[in-house]
Amino acid sequence: MKLKTRDFGEIELAEEELFTFTQPLFGFEDYKTFALLFDDELGDELVFLQSAQEPGLRFILSDPAAVKPSYHPPLPENAEALLGKGEYCWWLVTVVAPDFKESTVNLRSPILFNPVTRKAAQILLEDDLPVRSKMFEEEGQ
Amino acid sequence: MLVLSRKAGESILVGGIEIKVTEIGKDKVKLGIEAPKDCRILRKELTEIIAENRQAAQTDLPSEGLRSLLHRLK
Repeated sequence: MKLKTRDFGEIELAEEELFTFTQPLFGFEDYKTFALLFDDELGDELVFLQSAQEPGLRFILSDPAAVKPSYHPPLPENAEALLGKGEYCWWLVTVVAPDFKESTVNLRSPILFNPVTRKAAQILLEDDLPVRSKMFEEEGQ
Repeated sequence: MLVLSRKAGESILVGGIEIKVTEIGKDKVKLGIEAPKDCRILRKELTEIIAENRQAAQTDLPSEGLRSLLHRLK
């Protein structure tokens, strides 16, 4: 299928590669289908979550293993109900600042993906973690 | 801010909305809310997250290649 994207023009993508949000991004409840797009230039640490329904809608996500290595919050109880069984991939919603090193990531509500069931969800964690954590600072933020 | 004490099972009425303390745990309180269908009920921290999501959806990439930026910052 063809997918119109915000950052890469029109691309070719298999429908099976799409993810369905069983718990949508907060504030974006009408948008349930997204693709995860990688860019060779960026490598594995940043990824684009592109809406399949609205070309202009996309989120930039960061890999917590790369930007916040000590971030290991407990899985919420409803994770399996939302995503199905399996290993989940965690990604953090990123606000890219004009001065890139001021960019922040949301530790309070990560997005979890199940690559097998193709389900995804934005999870609200119980812990009082920051919604705006500096992407490039040492742990403790 | 009006602060009231309630025991488990007791309620408060806010306008046409009832808020009941259904369970009191060690560090958590369970609340039951009876409100009209058109009334939006949100955990407060969600409003901050919604605003953050909205801002995140607007962000564009800086003109300098992100890859080189990422490398420089390591």
